[in-house]
Amino acid sequence: MARLELHGISKRFGDQVAVAGFDLSVEDGELVTFLGPSGCGKTTTLRITAGFETPDTGSVVVDGSEVTGLPPNRRGMGMVFQGYALFPNMTARDNVEFGLAVRRRPPAERRRRVDELLGLFHLEHVAGHYPHQMSGGQQQRVALARAIAVEPSVLLLDEPLSAVDAKVREELRTEIRRMQGQLGITTILVTHDQAEALSISDRVVVMNSGVIEEVGTPARIYAEPRSAFTAGFIGAMNELPVRVASRREGLVERAGRRFAAPGATELPDGAAALLLVRPESLEPIEAAAAASEERPVLRGRVDVQTFLGATMRLFLGGVVWGAAAEGDHEIEQLAVDVPSSAAGRWPVGTELSVAIPVGSSRVIAARTAAEAAAVTRRPGSART
Amino acid sequence: MTGSRAAGAFWSAETSGTARAGRGSGRPPAWSLAVLVVSIVYFFLPLLGTAAFAFSTGKVFTLEYLAQGLTDPDALGSILLSAGFAVSTTVVAVVLVAPSAYLVELRLPGLRPVLDFVTILPFVIPPIILTLGLEEVYGIRGIFNLVGSPVLLVGGYFALTLPFVYRAIDNALRAVDVRTLTEAAESLGSGPFRTFLRVIVPSISTGILSAALLAFTTIMGEFTLASLMGYATFPVMLNNTYASASREAASLVLVSFMITWLSVLALALVARRSPTARQVATAR
Repeated sequence: MARLELHGISKRFGDQVAVAGFDLSVEDGELVTFLGPSGCGKTTTLRITAGFETPDTGSVVVDGSEVTGLPPNRRGMGMVFQGYALFPNMTARDNVEFGLAVRRRPPAERRRRVDELLGLFHLEHVAGHYPHQMSGGQQQRVALARAIAVEPSVLLLDEPLSAVDAKVREELRTEIRRMQGQLGITTILVTHDQAEALSISDRVVVMNSGVIEEVGTPARIYAEPRSAFTAGFIGAMNELPVRVASRREGLVERAGRRFAAPGATELPDGAAALLLVRPESLEPIEAAAAASEERPVLRGRVDVQTFLGATMRLFLGGVVWGAAAEGDHEIEQLAVDVPSSAAGRWPVGTELSVAIPVGSSRVIAARTAAEAAAVTRRPGSART
Repeated sequence: MTGSRAAGAFWSAETSGTARAGRGSGRPPAWSLAVLVVSIVYFFLPLLGTAAFAFSTGKVFTLEYLAQGLTDPDALGSILLSAGFAVSTTVVAVVLVAPSAYLVELRLPGLRPVLDFVTILPFVIPPIILTLGLEEVYGIRGIFNLVGSPVLLVGGYFALTLPFVYRAIDNALRAVDVRTLTEAAESLGSGPFRTFLRVIVPSISTGILSAALLAFTTIMGEFTLASLMGYATFPVMLNNTYASASREAASLVLVSFMITWLSVLALALVARRSPTARQVATAR
C-alpha cells in the first residue's frame, strides 16, 4: 500500500524514444491504467517502475523515498507478466509461496498466507497442479496470487489479460478489480484494450508515441476526450470535419450552416476541426424535421446493420448535412446506435435522418498527419 | 504424451523419426524397413560377435573370462579411474557451462556468436593436436607445469565435451523464457543465485541431464588423450590387454556397454521423475 510517483521519466532505445517526460502520481490504493497502441511507451514505463529498465532521466518514488537506483528484487513491488511467467517446475502452491520463502517467513505463516490467497482466487482445487496442467485463466490467477502474496507496495500488471480468451478475460478483469478494491493495493495496469481500461480503472493514462496524451477518469475520458488521439482511440466515435465559424459565439460551420458546438470557443476562428459524436448520441428523426442552430441534422442511407445486443449499430453511407444539396457526399460513414427493438424500422437501403442533440458533441482541433497515422496503426480498431 | 518427452532433446530425434515412419499410408514403406534391418544388423552383429567370443572357449559357453576380467585388479582400477575422470569432468563442465550459458542468454546476447564458435572448436581440433597443445602450455617446458596432475586431463576432457554440454544446456535454456522467469523471480525478491538455482536450473534439468550423460559416456570411452598423457583408463587398459587376453578384453567391452546402457536408463528414470514428467503423468 503506497503512493507512487513518477517524475520526468525518459528513456531511449538507440535513437528510438520510448518514453519522454512522463510525470504521474498514483494515490494509495488507486488503480491506474496506461492505455495506448503498441509502441506507445506504456510497457517501458511499467518496466522502469519495476526496475527492469533504467530511465535515462527521471525518478521513481514510493511513499516519498526514491527507488530509481534499486534493483527489482529490492523494490518490494509485485508484477504480473503478459505470459504468466509461472515457474514451470513448481506447483500452483509453490509458485504462490516462492516470494514468502525468499523473505524467510516461518513455514506455518507461509502455509496460512498461501491458503488464504488460493482461496481468494478460487484456486484451492488446483493447488497441487503444475502450470501446464492449468487453464490460461487459472495460470493468470496463480500469477496474481503469487504477486500479491508478498504484500507488494505497488502491483504492476503488464497486459495481464491479453493471453486469455474473451469470456475469461471479462471474468478476470472483474476479479482483479474486486481483489484490488478489497486489498486496497496501489495498482498500475498496462493495456491496449480500451474496454479493459475503461471498465476497471480509477484513472486512465492515455499514451501515444512515448508521451501522455491525457489523464482522467474513464467517464471523463469517454465523454470529453481532449485530444483527437484519445477520441479516436477510445470507444466508437464519429468524426465529422467542420470549421470554426466564430470562436466568440462558439459556432462551427459546415455545408453553409452554422451551429453551436462545445469546445469551439477554445479554437481560433477558421480553424479546421473535428466534431466528435458518439453513435449512441445521435437521434433518429423524421426526415421532414428541420435542422436548427442548436440541432444540426445529418442524412444518409443505411448500408450495414451490426447487432450489439441491446443496441443495433447502423452504418450510414452517402451522408450529407441536412441542408446540403443532393450529391454533396461529405462523410464516408456515420455510425448510429438505435435500440435493437426499433432497428426493424430502418432496414438496409432505407434513408435515415439523425440529429446531433445539444451538448452531446464536442469540437477538437483536427489531428495532424502523424496523429492520424498513429490512430490507424492501433490494433482492434473500433473507430468508425 | 509419454515419458519419452521428458527425457529431453537427446531422445527427440529418435522419437520423431519413428513417428514419421509410422504415419502416412499406415504401413511403413519397404525401403524404411530395409534401412531398419540393415542398421540393426550393423549395430548388433559386432556386439553379438563380441559376446560369442567373450562367453565361449570356442566350443562351450563359459563365464570364466568375464570373471577373470572383472577380478583383474588392473581392470577394476581402470574402470574406477575412467569413472573418476568422467564424473569430475561432467561436474566441472556442467557447473561451468550452465551459469555461463544462462548469463549469455540473459545479459550478454552479443557474446552468443563467440560462444557458439568456441564451443564448436573441439570438433575441428583432433584430440592429438589438443594434447600437443596442452603439453606445450602446461607441460614441462610450458608456462604452467601441470605434468602428472589429473587436472590437466580433466581440463582436456572439459574441452572435448564442451560442444555437447553447451549445446544441450543452451537448447534447454532457449526452450524456456529465461528472461521473463528471471524477472518474475526478481520481482518476488529473489537474488541472482537463488533465481538460478531454484528457478532456472529446475526448468532446464532435462537439458542438464542430457549434457551430463553425453559428457560422461564420451569420457568413459575416450582413448587418445588418456593414452598420450599416460593414464591407464578403461579404454587404454582394454587396448593393452587385447593382445594378450583377448577374450577377457571382449568380456570387459561388454561390461563397458552395460555401464553406458545403465547410465542411459538411469537418465531416463531420473528424467521421468522430474516435475515436467510428473505433470504429464498426473495429467493422463
